[in-house]
Amino acid sequence: MSLRQKLLLMLSLTVAAAVAAVAWTVLVRIRLVFEQRDREETALFVSQFQREFQQRSTDVAASVNRIAASERVRAMAFELVQSGDASPYLTEAQTLAQDAQLDFLEVVGPDGNVVSSAQWPARFGYPEPAAAATASTFLKQENLPDGSTALGIFAVRPIRGAEPAVNLVGGKRLDQGFLADLPVATGMQVSLYSDTGSTAPLDATQPVATPLIGSAPFDPKRLVSATGDVAGAARYQPLIDTARQSGQPASAILYLTARREDSVSATAIPLKSDNGAVLAVLIVSISRAGMVDAQQHIRAIAYGVAAGGILLAILCSLWIAAQVSRPIEQLARAAEEVASGNWETRVQARGRDEVGVLGRSFNHMTSELVSQRERLVQTERVAAWRELARRLAHELKNPLFPLQLTVENLVRSRELSPDEFNEVFRESTRTLGMEIANLKTIIGRFSDFSKMPRPQLERIDAKDAIERVRALYETAGTLAGQATSSDRHPAKIHFEIQLAAEPMPLDADPELLHRALSNLVLNAMDAMPDGGTLTIAAKTHRDKVEIRVADTGAGMTPEECERLFTPYYTTKEHGTGLGLAIVQSVIADHAGTISVESGAGSGATFVIALPLASETKS
Amino acid sequence: MPIAARTHPHYGGTLRVEIQGDAWSLNAARNSSLVRGLIFNGLTRIGADGSVQPALAVRWTSENNDHRWQFWLRPGVHFSDGTALTSSAVESSLTGSCGAACPWTAVHAVGSSVVFTTDSPMPNLPALLAGDDFLIVRAGSINSASGSVLGPFIGTGAFQSDGLSNAILTLVANDSCWEGRPFLDKIEIEGHKLIHDQWLDLSVGRADLVEVPAEELRHARQQHLAVVQSPPVELLALAVADAGTLANPNLRAAIALAVDRSALSNVIFQKQGEITASLLPSALTGYSFLFPAERDVNKARELRGGLTPPTLTLRAEGSATMQLAAQRIALNLREAGFNVQVAANGSRQHADLILPHETLSSSDPRAALESLLRAVGVATPAIDQTPAGLYKAEHDFLETHTLIPLLYLPRAYAIGARVRDLHLSADGVPLLAAASLEDAP
Repeated sequence: MSLRQKLLLMLSLTVAAAVAAVAWTVLVRIRLVFEQRDREETALFVSQFQREFQQRSTDVAASVNRIAASERVRAMAFELVQSGDASPYLTEAQTLAQDAQLDFLEVVGPDGNVVSSAQWPARFGYPEPAAAATASTFLKQENLPDGSTALGIFAVRPIRGAEPAVNLVGGKRLDQGFLADLPVATGMQVSLYSDTGSTAPLDATQPVATPLIGSAPFDPKRLVSATGDVAGAARYQPLIDTARQSGQPASAILYLTARREDSVSATAIPLKSDNGAVLAVLIVSISRAGMVDAQQHIRAIAYGVAAGGILLAILCSLWIAAQVSRPIEQLARAAEEVASGNWETRVQARGRDEVGVLGRSFNHMTSELVSQRERLVQTERVAAWRELARRLAHELKNPLFPLQLTVENLVRSRELSPDEFNEVFRESTRTLGMEIANLKTIIGRFSDFSKMPRPQLERIDAKDAIERVRALYETAGTLAGQATSSDRHPAKIHFEIQLAAEPMPLDADPELLHRALSNLVLNAMDAMPDGGTLTIAAKTHRDKVEIRVADTGAGMTPEECERLFTPYYTTKEHGTGLGLAIVQSVIADHAGTISVESGAGSGATFVIALPLASETKS
Repeated sequence: MPIAARTHPHYGGTLRVEIQGDAWSLNAARNSSLVRGLIFNGLTRIGADGSVQPALAVRWTSENNDHRWQFWLRPGVHFSDGTALTSSAVESSLTGSCGAACPWTAVHAVGSSVVFTTDSPMPNLPALLAGDDFLIVRAGSINSASGSVLGPFIGTGAFQSDGLSNAILTLVANDSCWEGRPFLDKIEIEGHKLIHDQWLDLSVGRADLVEVPAEELRHARQQHLAVVQSPPVELLALAVADAGTLANPNLRAAIALAVDRSALSNVIFQKQGEITASLLPSALTGYSFLFPAERDVNKARELRGGLTPPTLTLRAEGSATMQLAAQRIALNLREAGFNVQVAANGSRQHADLILPHETLSSSDPRAALESLLRAVGVATPAIDQTPAGLYKAEHDFLETHTLIPLLYLPRAYAIGARVRDLHLSADGVPLLAAASLEDAP
């Protein structure tokens, strides 16, 4: 990953994290605020409902009270008590209930039995336990002739003036109509769950079915609202069951569908009878659609801001990264140029910051490198010329001295007899010829090096070149043919060849390559005067063929390794110093490289790397 | 309560009658007796004293131990359309109205008489022929399957139909009626009127004759209505199916023991009913007390045993009071462990229990018993003429518990101030043919 990409990533992540943190905080806060608002609204409505319920209860009690106080009813009660004949009043409750707009009304005689019932006229004579209720108003499930039950708010009032007491038990239904009358704010829904219709099996001693209170399994059809069935009624079950079982209000957030917008904040209020049994549960549901919409809206804004922020961050970081990384990239490219040999590379150095200082330092460094290289090249050139001159002087001196002695000997032999002079003359001319040949050889080598031929490339296999060299030098086995060696003792040198199995094709001049390898082999043999192992190895490595020529001789010091390829540099007592230079020149002409690995006492390994032939490159 | 009659009743005027039921449905239903008796006559009729009297037949004889009866027709009788009454017409009418449950084996015209032959003795045939089922109707105008009258209502009665308009059936006097022209010119019968509306109309003079259900008698008297009331002639009973769930006779017996007749009589029917566990009232037989009417819920539970029958359906037709009675009976049965649902008024669903009410059609106990049994679809057994035989026949039938007598109720009407000489027949039907109006011209 480049510096610019790293900068871009870090800046983007930083901004994104900051924006996400802010957005999350805002969302959490919004949710808390909305939930708080929901709770407050629910509590407000619950208290409102309780007031409304209380008001309805009061209304019921007032209605029953009015009936009980009416002259007609008092006269009825009086007659009833006096005559004991309840039959004339069979339909009285219906008439009274209709007039008072009550859903339920029963006249209960002093014996606690029904005299007249509006909701179940046939129930006269049966006991009505509710007449003994002590609460001012209470909830009750009323049995109906069709076997169902209805929930209602009831009040019991004695009819004044009647002793023993004749009571009125009156009430109004707690049903959809009741719910419809309740004031409901927008987004709120009030529903009622009751066990009406659920009855216990018939009891032989109680002809009126006992409603199952709180123990019947949940039935979603029993949850009704002012408008009818409640959508998603089954989802209310856990809340309703909790309220039924605990007898305490319970609240929960319910998800009526898979959409969050359809969730509601629901409060279940258990409605209890006079004896504390839960007869019904009132559910106040407040739609969370508004809150969810607001949350989603804010979330969308947050995401939009975050995305915009990230985009802005990317753009800014692109610019910043460009500003920051460009000079560094320039420096990096320049450094690569310098590493590849282009020491003339310069960078723009602007500003006074560290990057500017770095750029100026780089430019100064490359300038110094260039000048030092030039000086070094000149120095090496001077050194090479000196070395060449010394070697030339040394090489030429050797054959010249015998030439000089021979000429002097001839001049002196003029004084001898003709036979002696002839003998000396023949000996001297023979010596003159040999030394002149030697001089010609020496000069020929120098001339060869000065005009190395350009390679004539052919498709060859490296294995063939190595085999040719091995065949040439292995069978010899001695150093007798070495022209540069004068008093060497022949020693056994073991050749070890390690060639890779796959072909190693090269585009090379076979003669020049043979010459280079021969020089390396001869040098290796010269390095092992007491014998050793000469290893020639070859293998392919990426797009190159790597040829190694290793010996087990004395090795070279690092300083010797550095100057090894300099022309006319030699560690041998006798030698032109051109062998490795020729090798380097040949390898360079074949677009290859040569290096040496050596340490004092650990032999030397020359490593030639030549490019694989064109079609076989991977 | 008989009305004091003037010395000279006046002819003319229109009597306005209001009833709860259909005025124009002339099948043998309760309210249609009123109209059928005005338009049609039978071979015989029941007099005010309950005895069988001649009507279209002037005399009759029985032979072969009441296996053969011959009725001689009254001469000179015509239908209201002028067609002469012949024995063939009588044969045709009786054959058409008899249907599947025909009490005689054959009927055929013989000269100016009609001869009935039966496989079993029919000592009460004359009383039977006085019933609404066997009124003589002109051929072609009776639905033989249902007994309902189709087409124009052609009979030999004191009135003839003048059509139905705005739910009011108008009957006009038959000037050539064999009984003599009635005093009234016209009778208008409006059906489907609630009791409260009928009384209101009576009080403001828009109606002359209205109904007073038994349970409203006390109320009517409190309102000082002029009420004419019959003896208890209407039997309220509980018909119990003897198939399906209730095929078990113990269950039917349990039902019979579970019903609280006292509550029905004292409260629902406002002490206007006569509690009974027998088919015939005590006034006719004197042995009604031999059939226990007390409720015994414990015994009922015992008879039910461990059986928990499925929900039974109880159907009651008629007024809200009948529905109330059904509700009460359902409550009573629940105490005994039966789950009973009362069908809605007008429902036609199958019912295990039905609350019918049948009218006592004769003062003759045997004839009355035969008529009642035939009305509930029971084949009439041979009834011994002795009280013991009658008791046995009644007892044997009641032991099946397929019909549980509950109450006998009177029939009553309230009449307007201008109505004169209105009496009720033995079965509680107003005898309008003999009535007149005070202010008739």
